[in-house]
Amino acid sequence: MLSVTTTRRARQGMVREWRLHALSVFSLAVAFVCLGAALLVVTNLVAAQDRWAHAGRASVYLKDGASQDDVDALRAALLRVPGVTGARYVSSGDARVEFGREIDGRDALAGLPADAFPASIELDVAPDMPDTDLHDVVAKMRLLPAVDDVETYQSWTERLARLVRGGVAASALLAVVVLAAVLAVVGSTMRLVLQRRRTEVEVLKLVGATDAFVKKPFVVEGSLQGALGAVGAVALLGLLFLMVRGRLDSELAALVGVEPSFLPWPVMGGMVVLGAILGAAASLASLRRLVAV
Amino acid sequence: MPRSEPVDRFRPMLRAGSARFSREAAQRPILVFEDVFKSYEQGSPVLRGMSLVIERGEFVFVTGPSGSGKSTLLRLLYRAETVDDGRILFLGRDVARLRADAVPFLRRNLGIVFQDFKLVPSWTASENVAVALEVLGLPPRLVRARVGEALERVGLGGRGDAPAAVLSGGEQQRVAVARAIVGEPALILADEPTGNLDPQLAIDVLGLFEEIHEGGTTVLFATHDRTLLEVRPRRVVVLDDGKAIDVPNGISSDEYDNRLPL
Repeated sequence: MLSVTTTRRARQGMVREWRLHALSVFSLAVAFVCLGAALLVVTNLVAAQDRWAHAGRASVYLKDGASQDDVDALRAALLRVPGVTGARYVSSGDARVEFGREIDGRDALAGLPADAFPASIELDVAPDMPDTDLHDVVAKMRLLPAVDDVETYQSWTERLARLVRGGVAASALLAVVVLAAVLAVVGSTMRLVLQRRRTEVEVLKLVGATDAFVKKPFVVEGSLQGALGAVGAVALLGLLFLMVRGRLDSELAALVGVEPSFLPWPVMGGMVVLGAILGAAASLASLRRLVAV
Repeated sequence: MPRSEPVDRFRPMLRAGSARFSREAAQRPILVFEDVFKSYEQGSPVLRGMSLVIERGEFVFVTGPSGSGKSTLLRLLYRAETVDDGRILFLGRDVARLRADAVPFLRRNLGIVFQDFKLVPSWTASENVAVALEVLGLPPRLVRARVGEALERVGLGGRGDAPAAVLSGGEQQRVAVARAIVGEPALILADEPTGNLDPQLAIDVLGLFEEIHEGGTTVLFATHDRTLLEVRPRRVVVLDDGKAIDVPNGISSDEYDNRLPL
């Protein structure tokens, strides 16, 4: 519990040494921006992975020689599979038109060969269909004579999962870097502050203040520095995100199937709490040896 | 020489009305130095077997030339230094055997005034005085009231909001005195409190300590200013060759040996 005296002394200390504290907060914000950016990438990769893991779609590509009877029989068979909610035939020509519509570039398609887009049956799969069931169906479909290949986006999901794992590892590394940065920056700042407020500490000890009483305001200051650094980083990232999102939103959505999202509230809160805890710990560590009186 | 066990807390039992009031403790001398040795360098002790008894309610000058151990004596008392040997009994407790975490509780029973005032320049006069009560955890309203009274007592009523840095030397020393008395300590230690003041201000500040003493507080006033010793016929303790020589009625009295180094 912080007393009125502790909060007042911490506030006065921060106001009087505001330049030093501002510099420290800025340095911490830079460190937290790196961590926040990594977390932002991971957040969006996880969202994309989740989106593709539950895509609810599969494409059954047909061989060139598949007859209309083969297609109808296949469609009928597929619609009887539990979990398959729809089966739409897309001819080679329809596929070419659809793709041209999506990329808005009919001229670019003119140079592509006629068989660049194979005919397919586009399946709608219930989102709650278990992966194992879907894999069984795919394995059986691949054995059918009219089927050339089946795309369930699993490989895409696996690539995303690898990216997410890489992102998490990078974030963990950056978290260690941030930890070191916070300890170094807050520790140095508090040592400087302590040096400049040596008389204050000396007076406090001479009038009978316990070490805890002397340390508390400095710990509060360190904690606030850490928390403000994290808040500054989140604000800066938010600003950058808003600026970038306006330009890249549609492209990213078309590419990965999800709209980019900012850090969730719990992650932002976690960064601020982490900053506060690290700041307090760094401050406490730098105050181990108080002015001896 | 008997040795005391380390003491974990410093809790005097001298205030009448307190639950822990002890009549026996209240009748003991407030301060006893028993055969105290202290040296900073091997082979050249500052204090060598110094003994001294100060009774409750006394005003005692401690004097001697530079390096005679006046400040050391006071620093040993508020535990900025520790004795090499001997005992210092304050309110019946051996200060030298206090554990480090008990030292703050010892200092709460002392008021200390320094030559260089030891004020925080960026704090106001009130804040500099209030800190002595804030460490006790007193409620802010009570702190404000008692700080106001203390500043009135030293003649600085109305100057409480002034930053210490803008006060004159005399005013700063008055703030330091207010800080020393605001907690109503059993003993006031003054380490050359007039050393940075002109002669008239020095007399004024001495007068302030005497007023405080008249209220029943014991005062130990270290100075090498012979003028102050001459204008007030009080008990003087002269530190010479690491020992204390008592001059009960002051250096103007017949008992004073003029061969003493002053």
